Amino acid sequence: MIKIRTVFEKNGRAKYISHLDLYRFMLRAFNRSGLPIWYTEGYNPRPYITFALALSLGFESKCENMDFNLNEEVDFDEIKNRLNNVMPEGILFNSVAFPQKKITEIAFAEYGASIATEDSGILLQEFLKFMQKDSILVEKKTKKGMVQTDIKALSEITNVTQNQDSLDFNVRLPAGTQSNYNPMLLTNAFINEISNKNISVKICRNAIICSDGKKFF
Amino acid sequence: MLKDKIEKFLLSVQKPSRYIGGEVGSIVKNKDNTDVGFAFCFPDTYDIGMSHLGMKILYSLINSRENFRCERVFAPWTDFEQIMRDNNIPLYTLENLQPVNEFDFIGFTMQYELSYTNVLNMLDLAGIPLYAKDRGEQLAPLVVAGGPCVCNIEPMADFFDLVILGEGEEVNLEIMDLYKVYKDKGSTRTQFLIEAAQIQGVYVPSLYNIGYNDDGTIKFIMPANNAPATVKKRIIKDFDKVFYPDNFVVPFTEIVHDRATIEVLRGCIRGCRFCQAGFIYRPFREKTTETVYNEAKKICENTGYDELSLSSLSTSDHSEIDKMLSTLINYTESRKINLSLPSLRIDNFSEELLEKIQKVRRSGLTFAQESGTQRLRDVINKNITEEEIMNTCRIAFEGGYNTVKLYFMMGLPTETDEDIIGIAELAHHIVDLYYSVLNGRRGRPVQISISTATFVPKPFTPFEFEPQDTMEIIKHKQKLLVDSVNDRKIKVSWHDPKVSILEAVLAKGDRKIADVIYKAWLKGCKFDSWSECYSYEKWMEAFNECGISPEFYANRKREYDEILPWDHMDYYVTKDFLIRENITARAGFTTPNCRDNCSGCGIVNETGVKCFD
Ligand code: SF4
Repeated sequence: MIKIRTVFEKNGRAKYISHLDLYRFMLRAFNRSGLPIWYTEGYNPRPYITFALALSLGFESKCENMDFNLNEEVDFDEIKNRLNNVMPEGILFNSVAFPQKKITEIAFAEYGASIATEDSGILLQEFLKFMQKDSILVEKKTKKGMVQTDIKALSEITNVTQNQDSLDFNVRLPAGTQSNYNPMLLTNAFINEISNKNISVKICRNAIICSDGKKFF
Repeated sequence: MLKDKIEKFLLSVQKPSRYIGGEVGSIVKNKDNTDVGFAFCFPDTYDIGMSHLGMKILYSLINSRENFRCERVFAPWTDFEQIMRDNNIPLYTLENLQPVNEFDFIGFTMQYELSYTNVLNMLDLAGIPLYAKDRGEQLAPLVVAGGPCVCNIEPMADFFDLVILGEGEEVNLEIMDLYKVYKDKGSTRTQFLIEAAQIQGVYVPSLYNIGYNDDGTIKFIMPANNAPATVKKRIIKDFDKVFYPDNFVVPFTEIVHDRATIEVLRGCIRGCRFCQAGFIYRPFREKTTETVYNEAKKICENTGYDELSLSSLSTSDHSEIDKMLSTLINYTESRKINLSLPSLRIDNFSEELLEKIQKVRRSGLTFAQESGTQRLRDVINKNITEEEIMNTCRIAFEGGYNTVKLYFMMGLPTETDEDIIGIAELAHHIVDLYYSVLNGRRGRPVQISISTATFVPKPFTPFEFEPQDTMEIIKHKQKLLVDSVNDRKIKVSWHDPKVSILEAVLAKGDRKIADVIYKAWLKGCKFDSWSECYSYEKWMEAFNECGISPEFYANRKREYDEILPWDHMDYYVTKDFLIRENITARAGFTTPNCRDNCSGCGIVNETGVKCFD
């Protein structure tokens, strides 16, 4: 049994594949690819396929991780090609390797947010004002129920840029198996404060970072 | 752009991936490089429509022609429909996200009567006039229909430009080819429709004039412009060679039947007298084991599905059933694919076969018993004896099964209280059998579920002349059944008879029903097959306002010589045969299955070859 880790992009129409549907989707993709995927033993054998960090429905991503096992050695490039050959538009595998990091080492995720608007100048002013607040309290769902959190203290915002019809910025938030923060907590809090409701937000996950500051892989 | 508009709202609706396409196996052609576009509409949700085999076949077939393009459309669920209406998003196809009204053909598959209001709703969302007469002389878009319900499309006839009878694998392409010629010539809609009516299998409702008697029955059906007096359905002669897709669209989200499917046979030899499919899909034809295997392998490999199902009205009637199942099980086991086998009949369920199936099937046993006494089973020609039922149950119980689902119809012709009590007795016998098989050993408790549906008499069956039971009688029978069951291991459930009466009206109605459907839709009726959406009250208001009595259609017995609304449709099963069968049924006699003995239904007159050697 050979452990394999892959990184793929999830863009376009594929961003509407929910995390729950992703396992079934990939299982069928493996069946189409003809790769010698390893099945669990026991009464109800299933291929072992896992994803490092769930991605919210509707987010794009440049850095989704999928782990699986193969029964025999296959060249990394061939794995990549065989998978890409059976993927729909929007999913693209970029790298294949042996896993380096443990999933528990994941500490942060970086997202790009893009808020579409007719007047990005006004929106930029409003955003800068919003980010000057002492704290931004949001309700976060946890296992223990709704908890109030200061999302400002947790967010590290960079690269705020005003484009012709959008306001873009990057945000780094805690992520991982223990605690995980959705950038929509921040964008929704912002949208709640401003008067213009006719805007839409696009989010893309750009990187998953480990506690040592290196990219998860 | 339409895509941006759609995406803006997608995350606020349930199961958004239903509305955006992009699935593996979907065929997206450049709209500028094709001559004729066909928007294939399923008048129900994505989850249901995507499970439908006929749509998969025709989708692949049309797209297999380089200059044709077929794209899929489903009814948006109410949450997304509201957003579409509020934001001027027209009904669109999933491939190119293109408005449906830009297509040459808008084709609906009519699988069940309760989807009729969805057709109107979808046309409205597409911005297309609902009544065919209001669509002007422009050639496109043509609103067309096919599927089993078109054997009596009269209640919906006013809304369709053209209707396709029978199997679509050849005639669809013929119509599109003809259309291309008329489009290039710059013809009008009427010119095209008159010519299209000459193609066998094509029914153009506007070319037929219907006259009525004072009592509301039909006086005459008169064709115009050379349209044929009776429209003959299409049949694929060489079924083993018929087009079959080598790939399916594989949805992202879970749907009702999410698996690879192979059609192993068409038609049915049994002749159950209540079953419309058993008559309108004649004659019986099957694919060879080799064809079934090759098609199954291709579909499984291309889709990556890990479940394979065989589709037919009665899989166990395949002449090579043992060989076919062994071949398939060998393949599916080696690929870790689950083989699921619906519609296996119990009366030719051999022990050997059961063993093979048991290797792959873990769920409970399902029997479509249909009625509780032998007398009534003879009337409906469901040739199963209680002994055979018990035999199968015994084998199953010995093999470790402990749940049995029994399906019955209530309100069958000649049915009496005794037949209803018989349902409960049969269930009690099965419970007793289970404990005698256990023979004192400890085991899981047996679970029997009885599920009853109200009988809906359908066109092209020997019961097309029969009235449906009134609501009072059905309620009486339901109560009787519940009172007759005195064992907690037996659960009873039923379909709402308020739905069945509408089904009967829509199934046997004439063109006067069109305005009722339109009114009902105006009042907000849609998704009538979804109990959370169905409104009996709104439908009854619509009947009232149109001055139409639903009882006239549902609860009235038709005389043998009455002109029926579907008499100008020819499914080759003759009315004489149906009358003969009706008389035989009422006398309590059965008719042998087609393999044992041909009963001369009329099919041979068309095909010219005997159905069985
Ligand atoms: S012609 Fe005879 S064998 Fe063929 S379908 Fe009719 S009754 Fe059955």
